[in-house]
Amino acid sequence: MSSCVPRRISRHAAALVFGLGMLSSWAPVRTAQPVFLSDDPLGREPESQDASNVQPWEINLAFDVTYNSLVTARQEPTGSRAGNVNTLDEVPDSSWFTNRIGARPLSAAALVNGPDISPAPDPASWTILREKSSGAAAGFTARDARGATWFISFDAPSNPDGATGAIVVATKLFWALGYNQVENHVSSLRREHLRIDPKASVKRPSGRRTPMTNDDLQTVLSRATPGPDGTYRITAGRLLPGKILGGFRYEGTRPDDPNDIVEHQHRRELRALRVFGAWTNLTDMKSGNTLDTLETTDGRSIVRHYLQDVGSTFGIGANGPHEPSEGWEFVFQSGPALRRLFSLGLALSPWQTAHYEDVPAIGPFEGEAFDPEAWKPRAVVRAFTEMRADDAFWAARRVTAFSDASIRAAVSAGRYTDPRASDHLANVLIRRRDRIGRAYLPAINPIVGPRFEWPGGLSFSNAAVEFGGASAPRRYTARWHAFDNTTRVSRELGVTTGTATRLDAPAVVPDVPGGFVRVDVSAEHDEHPSWGRPVEIYFRRDASAWTLVGLTRLP
Amino acid sequence: MMFRSSRGGAAMGIALMVAALSATSGYAQAPAEPAGTRAGAIVEQQAAKAQRLTPYQPGKLEAWVQKIDEHLSATEVKWHPFYGTAYQGAGPTLGAGYVFHTGDYDSLDVRASMSINQSKRAEAEYRWPRVLARRGVFRVLGGWREGVDQNFFGIGTAETSAQDRTAFDFRQAYGSARLDVRPARGMLLFGGGVEYLRFEQRREAGSSFEQRYTSATLPGVGATVNYVHTRATAAIDSRPATGYAKRGGYYGVTAHRYDDAGSPFSFRRVDYDVVQHLPVLRDAWVLSLRGRVQTTYASADQAVPFFMLPWLGNARTLRGFSSMRFRDRNSLLLSAEWRVLVSLFADAALFYDAGKVTGRRADLNLAGLKSNYGIGFRLHTPATTPLRIDFARGNEGFVVVLGSSAAF
Repeated sequence: MSSCVPRRISRHAAALVFGLGMLSSWAPVRTAQPVFLSDDPLGREPESQDASNVQPWEINLAFDVTYNSLVTARQEPTGSRAGNVNTLDEVPDSSWFTNRIGARPLSAAALVNGPDISPAPDPASWTILREKSSGAAAGFTARDARGATWFISFDAPSNPDGATGAIVVATKLFWALGYNQVENHVSSLRREHLRIDPKASVKRPSGRRTPMTNDDLQTVLSRATPGPDGTYRITAGRLLPGKILGGFRYEGTRPDDPNDIVEHQHRRELRALRVFGAWTNLTDMKSGNTLDTLETTDGRSIVRHYLQDVGSTFGIGANGPHEPSEGWEFVFQSGPALRRLFSLGLALSPWQTAHYEDVPAIGPFEGEAFDPEAWKPRAVVRAFTEMRADDAFWAARRVTAFSDASIRAAVSAGRYTDPRASDHLANVLIRRRDRIGRAYLPAINPIVGPRFEWPGGLSFSNAAVEFGGASAPRRYTARWHAFDNTTRVSRELGVTTGTATRLDAPAVVPDVPGGFVRVDVSAEHDEHPSWGRPVEIYFRRDASAWTLVGLTRLP
Repeated sequence: MMFRSSRGGAAMGIALMVAALSATSGYAQAPAEPAGTRAGAIVEQQAAKAQRLTPYQPGKLEAWVQKIDEHLSATEVKWHPFYGTAYQGAGPTLGAGYVFHTGDYDSLDVRASMSINQSKRAEAEYRWPRVLARRGVFRVLGGWREGVDQNFFGIGTAETSAQDRTAFDFRQAYGSARLDVRPARGMLLFGGGVEYLRFEQRREAGSSFEQRYTSATLPGVGATVNYVHTRATAAIDSRPATGYAKRGGYYGVTAHRYDDAGSPFSFRRVDYDVVQHLPVLRDAWVLSLRGRVQTTYASADQAVPFFMLPWLGNARTLRGFSSMRFRDRNSLLLSAEWRVLVSLFADAALFYDAGKVTGRRADLNLAGLKSNYGIGFRLHTPATTPLRIDFARGNEGFVVVLGSSAAF
């Protein structure tokens, strides 16, 4: 396969990258390059180059699944740190990601609105423009009464409200988490309000493309079930602006996009999708469910990256409920399959004994047996195998930033007919959120939100303790240093300890404008020895106060 | 970098990545932004990449997989494999077909196959798959087949043994029209059709069959029969697909009438079929049950020729016995499979089949059943079972079954 670096080369490259990455971490290495630059921490990743020459591509589903199942599944993680984090260990805004929940206040109204920038479709009339060209659900492309173009999809007859509710709720959640989302609305249509555009056509089994007929329309509608009043419940997804380029891959970079310089498997927001996917049971993580578009602003084009289809979520897929094993096993996973084979099925897998409530609108989705660390998408995703404890911690902070109320607000956007469905979905999401918090927040030193005042000391929070995922540690220890930003040399100033999340500073700190202080904060906890590895925190003395400029949390 | 157009591209990507990580955070330097800024470092890397852009080129494997996928998923199928045999039990078979589309959905499929025992089949089928407002499928089929070495062990269950095997050859010409309708596009299924069937037994002087049987001892020996075969089916079919199912069932009755003008071989046959798939413990297992009764009726001056008798024994009936091991005027077949869903695309199964053939309908009971048990492995899609391997053991030995469809 000429497009892929052989595994040996890939491993060597990974080792090289990893090694240099370690050398370039915050250790006091003598170099002329300052550690912290004037615009640190970076808030937005620039996209400086015109990308108008990017060509559309189509990622073949069969190859994608085969490659990920057979090749990616055998690749060992490089262990390297995410390549697009800023000096605060956060992900800057970019064409991939926008910091929302956890980074700024997000009202329930804003969450429910999500990516919507326009009114919901006007269902007074629908003109079908095209047959559906991808995806398994019944649907088509249509223009509403206001002239806006929408991608229409229906619920599977076995799961009323299921697919339409799932895609809208998931869209709100993933938008709040920071991803570019397609604007989706729950809407309706009636057969008598449908007309077929004369230019609409259908590709026939003969290979010919001929005008769409009422019979074709009836074929689509026969795969859905109208309500008692004859109205079909639908999801309407807005046509994205810009030129459609095809999906993105969860590894490598796009070779014709000049702004795409961090390999996707090392983008933290893509690694973190493993946690967000586990939370929502977004199992269908194939590249075909992503979309790149070329958007032009002020004469310069950039590629924007969307999680285009997050509808195979909770316990629902396009054609009905998830397979019971979804979220628990890869589609091709030899271990459990062989265990079942040789035990003739008597060696039960967890998904066979988990209790699922019978809520057809939600499908098999539960939070009691859920183990976030064991969760699996349908196929191996390279970015997921690269996820480290610091990536998972970052992701868990965002998941746990959802309050019960905000989860219920997002669920309300699904407009489930049966209130039991809304309650069940919200309750399961809350339970799964809690499981994620308990799994990932205590797994690494959870010091967050440090603030330094002089005279005074260092105050901070413990994300795991605050969330209720761990008890307070026996003791916190702060090792204070004066830090030379140019030479990278640290000079120890003293050590302070305490049991509270506020630690005194030593008697002397370089309290002059432009001075830097480095504080290594660790904690002692019998159940969480990983907390003993300090979080390195850097403050810069600005004109009037100490400003946080760096935070390194390593697994 | 895994998806580069060349190794040079990969090297460039690695170099960029190294540069990115060599900075103190994930990013390094650049000029467009103010010098010495983080954003400037990133801009510099992007500008460097802009000088070396390459279009994406799929690798050989990707291109190859894509070609196969396009062929398999193409809506317009032309050449296709054809594994239909001249008769069930002819052994491994290879063949091909070519589909001509004469309308948006209507098609003519011309196909032929040859089995390992030299049996041959050639036929053409015209299909109208969307008649009666997409409620029905109408087929017209015409063809010819030559069967070689078809098993015959005699009449009855207990009265015959595996050592009684003889074999005969035949030729068959057939033409039929058939309509299957789901009036509500749901579970209810009706079907009907008419067929012309010419069956010619090929005589081979001195063969064990010729030595053993005469037209006086076995109805139909040496006969050439021209049937007008009419059939009608009524069924409830709740299976999601006929080729593979984990739930749902089939409950149907099919009545056949074989009229043979001029020779004494007219008869009627009724098939009663019951299939039910029962998922157990969230699809950990599936219990599949099947029952089938075939009964024939002939007036006093007519007989059912031996080659048209209901039979048992092959990959889809009594799997632990030779093909067409048992023949008589009536048959009873019971099967159970305990399927283990190994993965989304593979099943294993423990199975048990039991059945018998009888001369009298009154003897269709559970006494004297021949049975077999076994274990099987299947690769399947959500709707088809392209590969099935069953290892069956009956009281006449061990049989390995290789199939390209579900057992039932």
